[in-house]
Amino acid sequence: MNAIGTEPYIILSMVLFLMGALGVLIRRNAILLFMSVELMLNSANLALVAFAREWGHTDGHVFVFFVMTVAAAEVAIGLALIVNIFRERQSINIDDLQQMHG
Amino acid sequence: MEWLFLVVSVVAVVAAGMMLTRQNAVHSALFLIVNFGCVAFLYLMLDAPFLAMVQVTVYTGAIMVLFLFVIMLLGAETTTDTSGRMRWLGLAGSLVAIALLMIFAFPIASDMLHDEAVERGEARASLRLINAVPGGDAQLFRVQEMGFEMPLADEVAASVALAGLDDSSAGASIESVRYNDERAGSRDYSELPAGDYTLAATVSDGSYESGEVFSATVSLAAESAHTVLLYQNADGLLEYALLEDNINAPSVGTMRLTLVNGLAGAQVSLVDVGQYTTIRSLCEDAACSSLLPHRVMIDQLPLGDQISIELDEGDYNLAFVDQDDNVLRILAGYQAERGVIETRVLAREPGPPGSQPAYRAAVYHAFALPAFGSPEAVGQVLFIDYVLPVMLVGVLLLVALIGVIVLARPDALAQAERRRINRRRRVNRPLVSVIAQQTGADVLSGEYMPKLTPGDEPAD
Repeated sequence: MNAIGTEPYIILSMVLFLMGALGVLIRRNAILLFMSVELMLNSANLALVAFAREWGHTDGHVFVFFVMTVAAAEVAIGLALIVNIFRERQSINIDDLQQMHG
Repeated sequence: MEWLFLVVSVVAVVAAGMMLTRQNAVHSALFLIVNFGCVAFLYLMLDAPFLAMVQVTVYTGAIMVLFLFVIMLLGAETTTDTSGRMRWLGLAGSLVAIALLMIFAFPIASDMLHDEAVERGEARASLRLINAVPGGDAQLFRVQEMGFEMPLADEVAASVALAGLDDSSAGASIESVRYNDERAGSRDYSELPAGDYTLAATVSDGSYESGEVFSATVSLAAESAHTVLLYQNADGLLEYALLEDNINAPSVGTMRLTLVNGLAGAQVSLVDVGQYTTIRSLCEDAACSSLLPHRVMIDQLPLGDQISIELDEGDYNLAFVDQDDNVLRILAGYQAERGVIETRVLAREPGPPGSQPAYRAAVYHAFALPAFGSPEAVGQVLFIDYVLPVMLVGVLLLVALIGVIVLARPDALAQAERRRINRRRRVNRPLVSVIAQQTGADVLSGEYMPKLTPGDEPAD
């Protein structure tokens, strides 16, 4: 079962993180943006679990647990904001949200 | 295993890519669920079954369903993605992603993960001493100079070694055990970093300074547990045995009972004798010689050895029997509790020479190590070492909950305004009818009557 070392997991985690970052940068749909952030959080979790096994410590698992909790809170708030923005403007394209010229 | 990892990771990457490129947000969400499922599978392969289950329930179960709900609620499945005006952002995003790739790939490419200079986390090994020598104090030493050997049971070498060992720079005592301790011989395991050790043990009683000394180089692996057993052989010479202990949790619903034989000249068996009354009646006869019917659990364990069995939960009447079927010790009404790891060491009670020999079955407990990544292991760390962060995360979730409730109220201000208007109307209505009655006008079509149809509310 432990035939695979830590390195393949880290490389996979890196690839997934990059895809998530790419999604955040190129997609303009706010919901897809959120999903890409979730992908990035997940890839970070994968790296944490891989390193936890490498070092034989359960602390990495606990951190993954916290990341999941924070992600759940973030998704709840974020989606509520998206729903409100959609009610206001009938659009969730983040390019339309530029009244602050950010 | 490699092919499994390869398949799962390829599916994960393909699903992530599909998620990024689909125009329909529902399809994207479904592909992200596939990706999360693959990650949960990888958690299983990484010895994290608890996190795998949490991943499935929380991420794919709760969070993604929330996403799908919101997408369907808004009817925003195919929201226009590129507004044209910001198309250059795609190019910029790709460039940033490539830069990130280079940053991340650098440590892997330059082999930094294999840097031997990086110290591993402290891998601990456990060691304990069990003294089965009647009437002696035992001490276990760690000798730090390597390659320093001495013959066993040699008085001269022993005294030399003791002189060296008493010097704190030469060795550190890790255990000192009296045979007559209340717990009859041993303390809990000592934790020490994994590695090779030269161990030495001394046994002495009050009358003379030093007993025999043993020394041996042993290799203690990480997460392992060992017992150094000191005992007297049939010729009265001291011997030792290094026994490897199993401190992993026993199978579900069972306890692990380990029998250690420290009794000179006896091969000990452990038998389950069924009803206690039969033992009583048998043992009031001469020498408890025939213990039938019984079930042999451990058969003829030689001196200085140990063997483990797993007992189902429940009550037992156990007896320790030697090779000539003499009953040495009876454990009546022995309760097997699940998850317990217990070691029973059979040894002779110290007593004046020539007296009737008595035996004891000294008991030692060990804490079971929960399997790595199991709910027990994660729970222990979570609720012992990280209690405060757990509380803070709970508060964070509560704040998020309240925030969502506040955000989700549909235009709260407009609602308050409507409520105010309704209240004013309720006051006005009887007044209007009173005026209408007094003037005798038609209430429904009179000119004093403001229009009160529900659809005609003032604009928000």
